[in-house]
Amino acid sequence: MDRIEKLIAEQRLTEAQFNSRRHFIKDCTLGLGGLALGGLFNSCSTGTPKTPRYTLDRSLNPMAALPAPFLPKVKSVIYLHMVGAPSQLELFDYKPELAKLHNKPCPPSLLDEKKFAFIQGVPNMLGPQATFNRAGATGNWVSNHLPHFKKIIDEVAFLKAVHTDQFNHGPAQLLMQTGSPRVGRPSIGSWVTYGLGSENNNLPGFVVLTSGGTPDAGKSVWGSGFLPSVYQGVHCRSKGDPVLYLKDPKGVSRGLKKKVLESINEINYQEYQKFGDPEVLTRINQYEMAYRMQVSVPEVMDIDKEPDTIKEMYGVKPGKEAFANNCLLARKMVEQGVRFVQLYDWGWDSHGASPGEALDSGFLRKCKETDRPISALILDLKQRGLLEETLIVWGGEFGRTPMWENRLGIQNSPGRDHQGDAFTMWMAGGGIKKGAVHGATDEIGYSGVEGRVSVHDIQATILHLLGFHHEEFTYDFQGRPFRLTDVAGNIINEILA
Amino acid sequence: MRKEFKLFIVLGFLTFLYFVFINLMPEKKIDFSAQVKPILNKHCISCHGGVKKNAGFSVLFEAEALGITQSGQPAIVPGNASKSELIRRLHYTDTEMRMPYKKPALSKSEIKILTDWIDQGAEWGSHWAYLPVEKVETPLTASSSSDNFIANPIDYFVATRMEDKGLLPNPSAPKNILARRLSFDITGLPPDPGHFSSFTSGEISYETYLDLLFQSSAYGEKWASWWLDLARYADTMGFEKDPGRTIWQYRDWVIRALNRDLPFGQFTITQLAGDLLPDPSTDQLIATAFHRNTMNNDEGGTDDEEFRVAAVIDRVNTTFDVWQSTTMSCVQCHSHPYDPFKHNEYYQVMAFFNNTRDEDVSDETPNLMHFNQEDEIKIEKTLDWISDFGDSKTANIFKDFIRYKEPKYPSHHFEILKNGFVSGPAMGLRKGGAAFMKNVNPLGYQKLYLKYVGKTNGAKLVFRKNSLDGKIIGTFNIKKEGNNPNGSKGPVIATLDISKETAPFDLYVSLQTSNSQFQREHLQLHWIAFLPEIPGIDKKGHAIVNNSLIELLNTKGDLTPIMVENPQHMKRKTHVFDRGNWRVKKEAVPPGVPQTLNPWEERWENNRLGFAKWLVDKENPLTARTLVNRVWYQIFGRGLVNTIEDMGTMSDPPSHPALLDWLAYEFMHSMNWSVKTLIKTILMSSTYQQSSVISKEKLAVDSENTYYARGPRLRLSAEQIRDQALYISGLLSDKMYGPGVMPPQPEGIWEHAYLGNLWKTSTGSDRYRRGVYTYLKRTSPYPSMITFDAGSREVCLVGRSPTNTPLQALVTLNDPVYLEAAMHFAKNQQREKIENTISEMYQKATFRDLEAKKMETLLTLFYESKKVFEADPDQLKDFFGLGEAVDATTASLAIVANAIMNLDEFLTHG
Repeated sequence: MDRIEKLIAEQRLTEAQFNSRRHFIKDCTLGLGGLALGGLFNSCSTGTPKTPRYTLDRSLNPMAALPAPFLPKVKSVIYLHMVGAPSQLELFDYKPELAKLHNKPCPPSLLDEKKFAFIQGVPNMLGPQATFNRAGATGNWVSNHLPHFKKIIDEVAFLKAVHTDQFNHGPAQLLMQTGSPRVGRPSIGSWVTYGLGSENNNLPGFVVLTSGGTPDAGKSVWGSGFLPSVYQGVHCRSKGDPVLYLKDPKGVSRGLKKKVLESINEINYQEYQKFGDPEVLTRINQYEMAYRMQVSVPEVMDIDKEPDTIKEMYGVKPGKEAFANNCLLARKMVEQGVRFVQLYDWGWDSHGASPGEALDSGFLRKCKETDRPISALILDLKQRGLLEETLIVWGGEFGRTPMWENRLGIQNSPGRDHQGDAFTMWMAGGGIKKGAVHGATDEIGYSGVEGRVSVHDIQATILHLLGFHHEEFTYDFQGRPFRLTDVAGNIINEILA
Repeated sequence: MRKEFKLFIVLGFLTFLYFVFINLMPEKKIDFSAQVKPILNKHCISCHGGVKKNAGFSVLFEAEALGITQSGQPAIVPGNASKSELIRRLHYTDTEMRMPYKKPALSKSEIKILTDWIDQGAEWGSHWAYLPVEKVETPLTASSSSDNFIANPIDYFVATRMEDKGLLPNPSAPKNILARRLSFDITGLPPDPGHFSSFTSGEISYETYLDLLFQSSAYGEKWASWWLDLARYADTMGFEKDPGRTIWQYRDWVIRALNRDLPFGQFTITQLAGDLLPDPSTDQLIATAFHRNTMNNDEGGTDDEEFRVAAVIDRVNTTFDVWQSTTMSCVQCHSHPYDPFKHNEYYQVMAFFNNTRDEDVSDETPNLMHFNQEDEIKIEKTLDWISDFGDSKTANIFKDFIRYKEPKYPSHHFEILKNGFVSGPAMGLRKGGAAFMKNVNPLGYQKLYLKYVGKTNGAKLVFRKNSLDGKIIGTFNIKKEGNNPNGSKGPVIATLDISKETAPFDLYVSLQTSNSQFQREHLQLHWIAFLPEIPGIDKKGHAIVNNSLIELLNTKGDLTPIMVENPQHMKRKTHVFDRGNWRVKKEAVPPGVPQTLNPWEERWENNRLGFAKWLVDKENPLTARTLVNRVWYQIFGRGLVNTIEDMGTMSDPPSHPALLDWLAYEFMHSMNWSVKTLIKTILMSSTYQQSSVISKEKLAVDSENTYYARGPRLRLSAEQIRDQALYISGLLSDKMYGPGVMPPQPEGIWEHAYLGNLWKTSTGSDRYRRGVYTYLKRTSPYPSMITFDAGSREVCLVGRSPTNTPLQALVTLNDPVYLEAAMHFAKNQQREKIENTISEMYQKATFRDLEAKKMETLLTLFYESKKVFEADPDQLKDFFGLGEAVDATTASLAIVANAIMNLDEFLTHG
């Protein structure tokens, strides 16, 4: 299988010869710096995809790694999305005043002009269903439901006043992950792998790991929108083949599979010689990569070989679909150069309508399931020196009301309705100011009163840390340049180191 | 990706040559569209356009460009460049003063173009795509070298451009390659072996072969995939729960319409406004499901009005994406940044679409009910009675109500006053509960129909006028579900008499019960509607007709969501949304079309039907250009305007402008909007028939085949790859139409957090149906299709962008669907001599003869496999996981088949 290397080298040479004469055009068109003849061609900045610099490598392998346009702070991202929207009031946003209002009718002023998903009429207020303590050297607040989080609290920068204008799960998840509440836009992971490719071509560049179920908005939250479909997230599953159709069929050994692939590529090579179509070379490469991926993916997905101390640290559940396993997998993946690892953990929609989604039951289980693995992930990355080149993002799609939800006019177990005005997210890792707290909410955690940041601000900040300017990172579609942050977004400098 | 890059190089170089050329010929009259507009778009419009108008200057519209700016002076003085601020600003050396602001200066040649243009009078012009399509004469090529190349007018246009570039066409592709290429392009399937040999032996002509393919009903199935991408057709509603939807009758309508070559004008009108045609047929109503393919949000706690508006917006955007190559979605929030469409024009177009009955209710109402034969007779009898004792107008009211139960008031319009709730499609009331609905108009009809689920017996609903203690207009006794005549559970439709009310009022409803439980729910009301009394009340048999009507209304059966226009008393006003925010409404606007495009004619109806007629009027500059460009894209893998989704001012310029207009004009006139004729015309050209071999020279000069000096060689589409594997292995079912089928897919693909797994693998021939019939769940489409670049059909997809990823290789190598096909293929072969078997397999799969070197490779693979299996026969027990043991030869042939089915020549079309 060495021939492909030679072929690629040959093709590269042809390409180089062809391009050398027009190098100035290429550089300019691709925005590398409109040097010498800039006067004539300086305008190629309008209407062309500015960031990715296509090379032959990209045509052979659309995931070939590309340098970021600006100096990046991190190489990869692990995004922990708590699907359903965890309550900020039981985790990080300490509101003693709210306790005093517990089970009292909500003041009408809080309900004026407000729309809720399920609250009807006048609900009661619901005091914090947790106790809070200061932790770490920073003395930041964290609730008693997250005992392990105390170990990493000093690594984390909090955003206490994130807001979104969507208060239904599907649209809010889409906004958070794609920058638009309606389907059709590429997800953050797609943008990032489109812009940067991946460091490891034997693994997918954008991996999605789920626990508890898929997000409400479905696979669009890791879809590639109008970007080529190669940039959509690859869902690595805990049951069955980790990647669909990865396993060789029964009766076909690795050795035999290798022969099959060699035969295919030999014939394809003859086809290339006959038709001269570089697309055939791409296909040859595609089959080589598939063969290697068949080995690499099961290896990276296998957590059994990890030392017991590590398994215990994360609290993994071998053979199960579990958030803890996914955290460990995320570490293994970024360690091997996967660009974007997206975790979804389903079950945070704490309405209180049933025990499974009540703050005194299902919610506590979710806290337990995620607290230890998240702390382990950060500590593990740190001990391997990977934390400084990885960005960890934690959050849901919106927050929860300080009111007690009264679905269909009935108050059930303690639970909270959807709220977009103020909720907490946090980031940790490279480029992040450790221990920072940005933003604050009013005394009942209902609205942000300072340091409000939008979903697009979060996205702008993630792109910034990866070395992109979010306003310049565009893709032309339907005659207009699109970007992840749409027409908004400001980098949140307050949490940057 | 590289395609774009190379295109930039080519375009960049062309631009360079062009500027050199222009500089040498300065006196020539400047062409606004070709020379000036591109400069303005590139350098000026982002700050002086539809969104930003810095210094009160914009170059989007003529009036603004030549008008007075904030300085009190115009920036452009026609006929006098030296007095024009625009030109002065280009020459400054001070970067604070010079334009473009804080960007490099314009080149000398660009400045010269602008200067000459102003000196010549600053004549404004329209972007080419907004000018009407005129008749184009075919050019005569000078060179005789291309004489043999000219098969039809397309080739003249192509040859002329080739000559400009110093390119010569490729020779025609071998007949076997052409036969396969044609077959995929027309039917989406490999050739029929009989037709194939008739054509390759010379027994039938190219054209006859092609006509045979057009006669096959597989044509409609192939081209439907393309149209269904545009129509965003899927079998589920989308969004959070993504529940199923029965709209497959629309898919079948598309296949049938394509097969009978319904002219594109009618094809358009029927889909956009079939319900508004006179006395619409069932088919015409089904066609309107085109715009019911919008998503429907069933997630708890969502505002139906928000998602009704979202669906209407999607309809506007999709209509312009599909027919006009125009991104109207930009104009939703502000005037178009660079195309001449104004903010309020968006809402004028929206006004055409904003008056349908659908309101994002979870049962997708209005739905067209498909009755069985027996019920159809019953309907006829009922309607006959009504027209006999009443009139045809009344009969039509009942006809519509029986077929799709409109007009009605869905329960989400109720507001709760006491002890009740509105949730999903239902309004529920408990003891003493009350609710009201604003602005209800019974039109004087004295029958109120309601759909409800009764939870108890004996409670009573009281309907009142204008307040909770207003005049009682009617009462209704609730029956517990299951206690209705047909005994079934779930909602039923019932009726009650009301007083005669001819003007709109607010309807109040309260629940009375002797039951003491305060929290007990007594009913869930889904909707109410008003109908006249069935005429002939004193005639014998009236009661029977009344009963039949109730029975018909409660009949269960297949439903298809359709478009139904609001009656006069339910019309909505359309407002401009402030910056696109639907909650902030500004002035109301009447229906209207963008001024830039063809004018509105008085003879057209002032509704969706008129709009559809406007769209397919021969004066519309974009409809025909869009259609021919996209059909061309389907065949050549690139458009004549390569940004196939956009023909606006920022689009790629057409590579062959005259050819585009020739095709567009002829399509509307000589071809009478026949899509089959259009496709055939393209396929009859020598341009299409060329061999796809790429010489090094051509790769260097025209890597993207912009000039068509070689034939297309495209990777097959997702559906074609599947269909081909099933076809050559003899598994493909030729069954057409019907509900989406569920061929095998890996377990756990349809995991939904709380709705459970609903994928029920189809049995029998339904496992092997063509890809176009595969059930498409938007949040979880069939995995192998997605891998091969098919879309999730949540929004309109103008073109799939083909990619190459290792995951695709894994599908065709390891997906059990392909393994089963390989095995079946292997088993179907004769075994006398293995060389012959292998060469026949290769021939059957690729319609090419197996060359010696390739034979050697495949034969080696066969023997090596066989050696492995003979040494380890355990491997054969459940070979390929297909549940049966096979012998070593069969297994080895299956391995060879699997390899053949992964070859480039198998996965591409020629």
